[in-house]
Amino acid sequence: MDKTQLLLLLAVALFALGLVGVIVRRNLLVMLMCMELMLNGVNLSLVTFAQQTGTAAGAVLVFLIFVVAAAEIAIAIPIVLVLVRRKRTLEADAFADLKG
Amino acid sequence: MTHLLTLIVVLPLLGAVLNGFFATQLRSTPFGKPFVTVVGCALPILSFLLVVRGFLELSATGGMPLIETAYTWARIGGRSFEIAFYFDRLSAVMALIVTGVGSVIHIYSIGYMHDDKSYARFFAYLNLFLFFMLSLVLGRSLLVLFVGWEGVGLASYLLVGFWFDDPANAAAGKKAFITNRIGDAGFLLGMFLLYWAFGTLDMDKINAAFTSGAAPMISASLAGVLLFIGASGKSAQIPLHVWLPDAMAGPTPVSALIHAATMVTAGVYLVARMSGLYLQAPEASMVVAVIGAATAFFAATIAVTQSDIKKVLAYSTVSQLGFMFVALGVGAYGVGIFHVYTHAFFKACLFLGAGSVIHALGGEQDIRKMGGLAKKIPVTFSTFAIATAAIAGIPPLAGFWSKDEILWNAFASSAGGSPVLWAVMAATALMTAFYMFRLLWLVFLTPSRMEPKVAHHVHESPLSMTGVLMILAALSAVGGFVALPHFLEPLLPMAKTPEALHHFEMPLLILSVAIALAGLAGAWFVYGGGTERSARLAARFASLHRTLYNKYFVDEAYDHLIGRPLVWLSDRVFLNLGDRVVLDGSLNGLARLAQRTAGVFSRVQTGNLHLYALFVLAGSIAVLAWSFRHG
Amino acid sequence: MIEHLLQNLDALLLAVFGVSALVAAALMLVLRHPMQVAMALISTMVFLGGIYGLLGVHFIAAFQVLIYVSAVMVFMVYVIMLLDVRDPSFTRRFSTLLVPGTVGGVLLLAVLAYALWRGLYAPASTTVSFGLQQFSIAFLNEYWLHFELTSVLLVAAVVAALAVIKLTRKKHG
Repeated sequence: MDKTQLLLLLAVALFALGLVGVIVRRNLLVMLMCMELMLNGVNLSLVTFAQQTGTAAGAVLVFLIFVVAAAEIAIAIPIVLVLVRRKRTLEADAFADLKG
Repeated sequence: MTHLLTLIVVLPLLGAVLNGFFATQLRSTPFGKPFVTVVGCALPILSFLLVVRGFLELSATGGMPLIETAYTWARIGGRSFEIAFYFDRLSAVMALIVTGVGSVIHIYSIGYMHDDKSYARFFAYLNLFLFFMLSLVLGRSLLVLFVGWEGVGLASYLLVGFWFDDPANAAAGKKAFITNRIGDAGFLLGMFLLYWAFGTLDMDKINAAFTSGAAPMISASLAGVLLFIGASGKSAQIPLHVWLPDAMAGPTPVSALIHAATMVTAGVYLVARMSGLYLQAPEASMVVAVIGAATAFFAATIAVTQSDIKKVLAYSTVSQLGFMFVALGVGAYGVGIFHVYTHAFFKACLFLGAGSVIHALGGEQDIRKMGGLAKKIPVTFSTFAIATAAIAGIPPLAGFWSKDEILWNAFASSAGGSPVLWAVMAATALMTAFYMFRLLWLVFLTPSRMEPKVAHHVHESPLSMTGVLMILAALSAVGGFVALPHFLEPLLPMAKTPEALHHFEMPLLILSVAIALAGLAGAWFVYGGGTERSARLAARFASLHRTLYNKYFVDEAYDHLIGRPLVWLSDRVFLNLGDRVVLDGSLNGLARLAQRTAGVFSRVQTGNLHLYALFVLAGSIAVLAWSFRHG
Repeated sequence: MIEHLLQNLDALLLAVFGVSALVAAALMLVLRHPMQVAMALISTMVFLGGIYGLLGVHFIAAFQVLIYVSAVMVFMVYVIMLLDVRDPSFTRRFSTLLVPGTVGGVLLLAVLAYALWRGLYAPASTTVSFGLQQFSIAFLNEYWLHFELTSVLLVAAVVAALAVIKLTRKKHG
C-alpha cells in the first residue's frame, strides 16, 4: 500500500465517519460538525489527487469547497438558532413536523 | 338547357336556406312575411316550370332519358360515387306531381299558416322537403335516392313535430322517424347486396343487368324483399304502418303534401323504378302484393270506425298505398304509378279540404262534433264531395280509372293475379267508398252537432285556400283521362293478361262501378238521417267496433313486445350494470388504487432526519457496489 | 537511527498526523458535550492542515487553518456557547438508528476500501509540489468562471443571512 492509497483510505474513513455521525448523533450542532468532517474528508482526497496529477484543478476545487463550506455554515447556524428558538431543544427528533 | 335537373333540385334548397337564415332577421320588419311568402312559393313554382320544360325536352327526343352528373361525391379505390340525376318518363311523372302538387300546397299554406308564429320556419321546412323529394325522384343511383329518402324522413320529422311545444307532437315526429329507420335497415342491406353484385348503384344499370340476364349469383328476390322492407317503412305498410296516423299531429298542409301526395309514395316509386329487378323476382313480387292487399284491407276496416277527420284520411292513405303495392306486386307497374298520380290529386284535395274545415271550426277535428256544414262552407263542401267521389271510384272521375285498372290487373295478371286477390281488393274498395261517404255525411250533410260557440264562427276559408281546393278538385275530376300507363309503357311494360280472361274485363268494370255506388248507398242508408243508426250498429257489434276503433291494438302490442323489453335492457343491463358498475366502478377503482398506493408510499416520509441520512448512506453504498461490479 | 528517522521524517510525520486525525474524528462520534466535539473537530482539521503541508500544498494548508479553523469552527464554538441548553441530548447522545448507522458505515468503508485495493483510480506519476503563484495563475485564468460563480454564491449567502435576521427580528417585534 503506497502513500496515496493510505491517504485516500484516510479520506474515505473521514467521510464515512462523518456520514455515520450524522446518522448516529442526536444533537443538531454535532450533526452539523459531522457534515464539516465529511467535507474535510473530501478535501483530503482532492488534495491527494491534485498532488498526483500535478495540475491545479484539484487545488482550485479545494479552494472552492472552502468557500462553499464557509457560506454553508454561515447560513446553517442561524437556521439552527431560529429552529431552537421555536422548539426550545437541540434534539433532531423534535423537528419531524414534515412527516407524511 | 344544361344543369336543368340540378336547378330543379337545388331551387327549393335555396328557398329553404333563404327562409331559414334571413327570415328571422326580417321578422320585425314589415316585409318579413311577404319575403317568406314570395321566396317560399316562387321557388317551387319555378321548379315546376323547369320540370315542364324538361318534360317537353323529353317528349321531343321521344323519351330518351336526360342524365346529368352534378358532382363526384367520393372516389374510393377504383370506384367513384357521383351525385347524378336521371330524367325519364317515370321521373318526369313523379317530378311533375311533386312540384305541381307541392307548389299549390305551398300556396294553400299562405292562408292556413298565416297566423302562426313560426311562419318562416314552416316554409323553410317545406322547401327543404321539396328539395329532398326531388333528389329522391330524380336521383340516378340508389345512393342519391337514399339521401333524398333520409332527407324526406328528416323533413317529415321536423314538420310533424312542428308545434313541438306539445310533447305529443314531438313524440309523433320521433315515432315517424324511428319507424322509417327500421325500414331503412332493410333498404341499406338491399343496397349493399346490389352493390356487391353489380359494383354500381345506378338504377338504370342495375335494371339493365337484370333484364339482360347478366345478373350474377345474387338472388333477385332477396334484394327485392330487402328494398321492399325499406319501401314499407316509408310507405306505411304492415308492420311499419304505425307512424302515419300519429303523423297527423302536424299541420294539415304537411299531412297533405308529405303524408298523402308525395313522401309516402316514395316506396311505390322505388319498387316501380326497380321494375327490372322485380320482374325477375316472382317471390318478392308476391310478398309485395300480399302485404299490399293485407294493408289495404286492414287499414280500410279501421278507417270505418275512426272519429278524427284526419285519422280517417290517414288510414285511407295507408289503404290506398296498399292498392298501389298490389298493382306493383302483380307486375302492373305503370298502373301503380297511375294510382299515385290520381291519388295525389284527390287525397291532397281531401286533406286540404279537411284543413279548411278545421280552419272554419277554429281547430275542431272530431267528426262527432261536426255536421251541417254543407250550406255554411259551400266551396269546401263541393270540392270535398268531388274528391270523395273520386276516391270512391265513381266514373268518370280520376280515381275510377286507376282503381279499376288495379282491380283488373289483380284479377287477371299472369304474374300473380287471382280471383282471391281481386275479392280482397274489391271488398276494400267497397269499404273505401263506404267510409269516405260516411265522412262526407258526418262532416257536411248530417244535422249539426257542433258546439254553439264554434257554430257561430264558421266561415269560408280565404281564396288562397279555396282556390287550391278548386284546382285539385278539377284535377281529381279530369285527371283520369290521361292514359298514364300507356305513356309509361316503353319504360314499365304492362302486365300480361291471358286471353282467356279477357271476357271478364267488362263485367268486372261494371262490378267496380256497382261497388262504388253500393258504398255510397250504404253510407247514405246508415248516416243519412243522423248518427242514431250508426250508434245502434256500433252497440250491436260492440267488441268488433272497439277492436277496430283501437286500431287492432297494434301500438300497444309493439309497446309490450318491443318497447318495454328494450327499455328494461337499456336500464338494467346497460345503465346499471354496464355504465355504473363496470365503467364507473373500474375508473373509481383505479383512482382508489392510486390513492391507496400513494398512502402506502407516503409513509416513507417520517420527518426523521437520521432516517433520511441513512437512506443517503444506503443509496450511495448500493450505487458504488453496483458500479464496482462492472469496473 | 536518528538519521533513519530524520530521513523518513516526512513519512513518519505523515503517519502520525494521519492516525491522529483519524482518532480525533472517531472521538467526535462518542464525546458527550458539543464543545468537546468541537474541540475534536478542530484538532482533526489542524492535523489535516499538517498533512496538506507535508504534501507540499502549503497555501491550502494555510487556507485550511484560516478558513476552517479560525472562521468556521470559531463560529461553531461561539454558537455552542450561546446555546448551552441543558438538553436531553446530552444524556442520550445516540439516535434510534445507532445500529443501522454503524453497520452502514462499516459497509461503506468496506466498499470504498475494496475500490482502493483494486486500484480503481489513476496511479501516481510523480510527486509535484506547486506554489501559490501557479495556483493563482490557474485560478484566475482557466477557472475564472468558477471564481465568479462562487462570488454569486456568497452574495446569495449574504441575502439569506439578511432574511434570517429579518425573521428573527420580526419575532421580537
